[in-house]
Amino acid sequence: MKRTILTAFACLATVCMVLAQNEKYTQAMTANIQALQGLDKSKPDAKALQEIANQFERIAAAETKEWLPKYYAAYSNVMLGFVGVSLEEKDKYLDKADALLKEAETLAGKPNDEILVMRAFQSQIHLAADAMNRWQTDGEKFNGYLSSAKAINAENPRIYYLEGSSLFFTPEEYGGGKKAAKPMLEKATQKFASFKPESSIHPDWGKLETEWMLAQSNQ
Amino acid sequence: MKLFYCLLFLISPFAYAQKTVSGKVTDKKGNALPGANVFLKGTYDGTTTDANGTFNFQTSQKDTATLAATYVGYEIFERNIGVKDNATDLSISLEEIANELNTVVITAGAFEASDEKRMAMLKPLDIVTTAGAAADITGAMQFLPGAQRVGEQEGLFVRGGSGLETKVVIDGMIVQNPFFSSLPDVQSRGRFNPFMFKGTSFSTGGYSAQYGQALSSVLLLNTTDKVNNNGLGISLNLANAGLNYDYATKNQSISAVAYYGNLKPLFALVKQNVDWVQAPEFKGSSLTYRLKPTKNGLLKVYGMYSDSHLSMNSSDPLSESGKTRLDLENKNAFFTSTYTDSWKDGRWSLNSGFSYSRNNDNTTLAAFNFDRFDERTQARLVLSRLLSGNNTLLIGAEAHAIRLKNGFGGKYYKLNDRYAAAFVESEIYITRQLAGRIGLRTEYSSLLKDANLAPRLSFAYKTGRYSQFSLAAGQFYQNPDYKYLYTDKNLHYERADHLILNYQIIKNQRTFRIEAFHKNYAQLVREYTGQHFDADPYRFPWGETNNAGKGYASGFDFFWRDQKTIKNFDYWVTYSFVDSKRLFQQFEKSVTPTFISNHNISLIAKKWIEKITTNVSMTYAFTSGRPYYNPNNDKFLADKTAPTHNVNLQASKLQNVLGNLVVFYASVDNILNTKNVFTYRYTPDGKSRYAVGPQSYRSFFVGMQIMLSKKARVTKDDI
Repeated sequence: MKRTILTAFACLATVCMVLAQNEKYTQAMTANIQALQGLDKSKPDAKALQEIANQFERIAAAETKEWLPKYYAAYSNVMLGFVGVSLEEKDKYLDKADALLKEAETLAGKPNDEILVMRAFQSQIHLAADAMNRWQTDGEKFNGYLSSAKAINAENPRIYYLEGSSLFFTPEEYGGGKKAAKPMLEKATQKFASFKPESSIHPDWGKLETEWMLAQSNQ
Repeated sequence: MKLFYCLLFLISPFAYAQKTVSGKVTDKKGNALPGANVFLKGTYDGTTTDANGTFNFQTSQKDTATLAATYVGYEIFERNIGVKDNATDLSISLEEIANELNTVVITAGAFEASDEKRMAMLKPLDIVTTAGAAADITGAMQFLPGAQRVGEQEGLFVRGGSGLETKVVIDGMIVQNPFFSSLPDVQSRGRFNPFMFKGTSFSTGGYSAQYGQALSSVLLLNTTDKVNNNGLGISLNLANAGLNYDYATKNQSISAVAYYGNLKPLFALVKQNVDWVQAPEFKGSSLTYRLKPTKNGLLKVYGMYSDSHLSMNSSDPLSESGKTRLDLENKNAFFTSTYTDSWKDGRWSLNSGFSYSRNNDNTTLAAFNFDRFDERTQARLVLSRLLSGNNTLLIGAEAHAIRLKNGFGGKYYKLNDRYAAAFVESEIYITRQLAGRIGLRTEYSSLLKDANLAPRLSFAYKTGRYSQFSLAAGQFYQNPDYKYLYTDKNLHYERADHLILNYQIIKNQRTFRIEAFHKNYAQLVREYTGQHFDADPYRFPWGETNNAGKGYASGFDFFWRDQKTIKNFDYWVTYSFVDSKRLFQQFEKSVTPTFISNHNISLIAKKWIEKITTNVSMTYAFTSGRPYYNPNNDKFLADKTAPTHNVNLQASKLQNVLGNLVVFYASVDNILNTKNVFTYRYTPDGKSRYAVGPQSYRSFFVGMQIMLSKKARVTKDDI
């Protein structure tokens, strides 16, 4: 009897600790995702972004089985690559994002549409850093990741947001432009309307950006 | 009571006192690294360093913990620390990850254009946007330092070398006929489209032991691994019309090209200095197939076939009319397949290839048969191993079977050569600043019944973040020109020894590069006719021959490119100086050969005008006078032509037509209509001469490329 009670307590204690740890993880993630979403998307502050990226990396280092911290760390590093001042600096962050996404893929264990979308996003920002020399190789990667993501989950609205944004920033001479982007952005809006993230800390970004771009396209 | 203990056990981790962890993160030189991530591994405890690189955070960990620090572009730092009490004044110094800014690269003699290398001095796009290059790869290479322009012959003439001393190599395989068939006093174009290649490396000497049979230079072309755009493309210009089609699935892709060309319309518009009886007419096709059978494996198969024919009255000082009729019909086929793969995270990699080429020139000159046939079959295998610290070891071998037939005035000559080579090479990083490459190549030719051993050596030392010195030395062997081997089977390899010293700075899209070289030529073929020099470039050697020839070439070249100072404006300046003398062929004493020009200058400027999506490019090329043979001058090859000048202009405009990308281009070559003279040829009595100049003086060209691409726009089906 004594032993049963002790065992029960021990189990309870373990469960409590795991729950506490889970709670701590979710809380830390939620707080940091909110901080990331709270940044000005058009020109995020690099210092704040770096702190957010570091926090995600710390969570990732502690939670060695979760792919989401790596995913968000990669997202923050892509954003850092976007705001970087020189090509050299941009590439450092983008290379880091690429490495983080590869690790996230391993942790996820199976092909994951959100990670593929993030890899497409990384390619897009990498292309934009030196468009003249990279449009061929990165353009191909971008399309490849998105079509793989589509094959897994065609309902992921971020696929259409990225396709739309790519057209949005492509010069009209190359078949892009605001007009060309509009139908794709409208499709993204539709998909966002019916999109429910798997949990409160799963990816759920891109809606505001889509709305902003669509507003620009309607001008 | 027990419950109390259990609760205590539950609460205890949170009940410990908070302790401070603080310190500073710097690089190896002691510079503060702001924005670094410092934390205790396995916990959420940590922070980001401030502008001074300092950090300060609280932890409730007990006893010991692993302190970790990360910073983008630096190696991860980890160290166990005690956290029983506050841990303050920790100093962390991070090591930079090896990258192209802090690690030396071996560069002597190489001029790279690739997508992959960020620091490349030239990008593939530069080839097609250079005015005066006529979208020809070798045309663009002629503007690079180390190259000398020889207007009346095809080939790359590098640092005092003849056109025959440069080999064109595609994916490691020697290309037997890189240019369209040679014509008297006309420069033929390269056979390959620049868009086929993802990277180009033009080596002006001191190159790797992986390549041989070139005394001066190798032009390495690497084909693309993927299709550029899915769909149909159409090209239309004054000389030809072509179709290309690309199709790709996940692991396979195919590209097909077909074209027909006729230079008659162009020749009707642009005055020709050549007396064409029938303007060149050509047709051709190619097919590329690529397959990715494994994660890193890639099979590429490329096949092409083309035929062309033309007739001209070529200038001939030997004939009474001064003209000789030449008819040429060419059939050329080239097949190459390569397989590359890597295993164990790239620690082992394989490059293998097989290729076959066949070329047939049915030539009649003054009704005499001058047919030429050649065939080359080759196989190649290279295995490389990446060792720790980025050191590499590479071993490889290649084997060629070459068959040649040549008609000279009705008489036929035949040759068969079996050539084999093996090579080993290692790249060693002594430190991040100092690296070396040591290679050894050995070759055997059945025709020469002779083997050789060619050592190659390069060193590079990084003097600063953006600058470095390189040194390269080596021995290079090549079989003598086959025309000598038809009659003399006792000849040996010709040899060149290279010594190159290079200094370069690449910073912020500006490049400065200077290279000095000395080349020693030995064992060159000499011919003894016992008669006066015969300047006919197409003569067949009939005298006694041996390998007693020798010579040297030394000089320096300079390159400056600036893509930064003015937005969307890019310019480069090159200057090459060479001093060279040789005793070879029928020369009776050591003099400067006819293909040498001491000074070559090129200025290239490109401007991208965003508003009208147009790229405008201009080049100016100066080549100092070259020696020519004057039978009336007692001093051999003592006369020199006047320098040549050439100004070219090119514009290309991108336009979206009904959702398809269209590129329009127009160019004017020799806009000043300068009457350049490349050389003079004399009648046998020496009483009269004629000047050899370009095929046409001022000329223009227009064309367009249409890409009917589905990918570039959204169709209804996508929605």
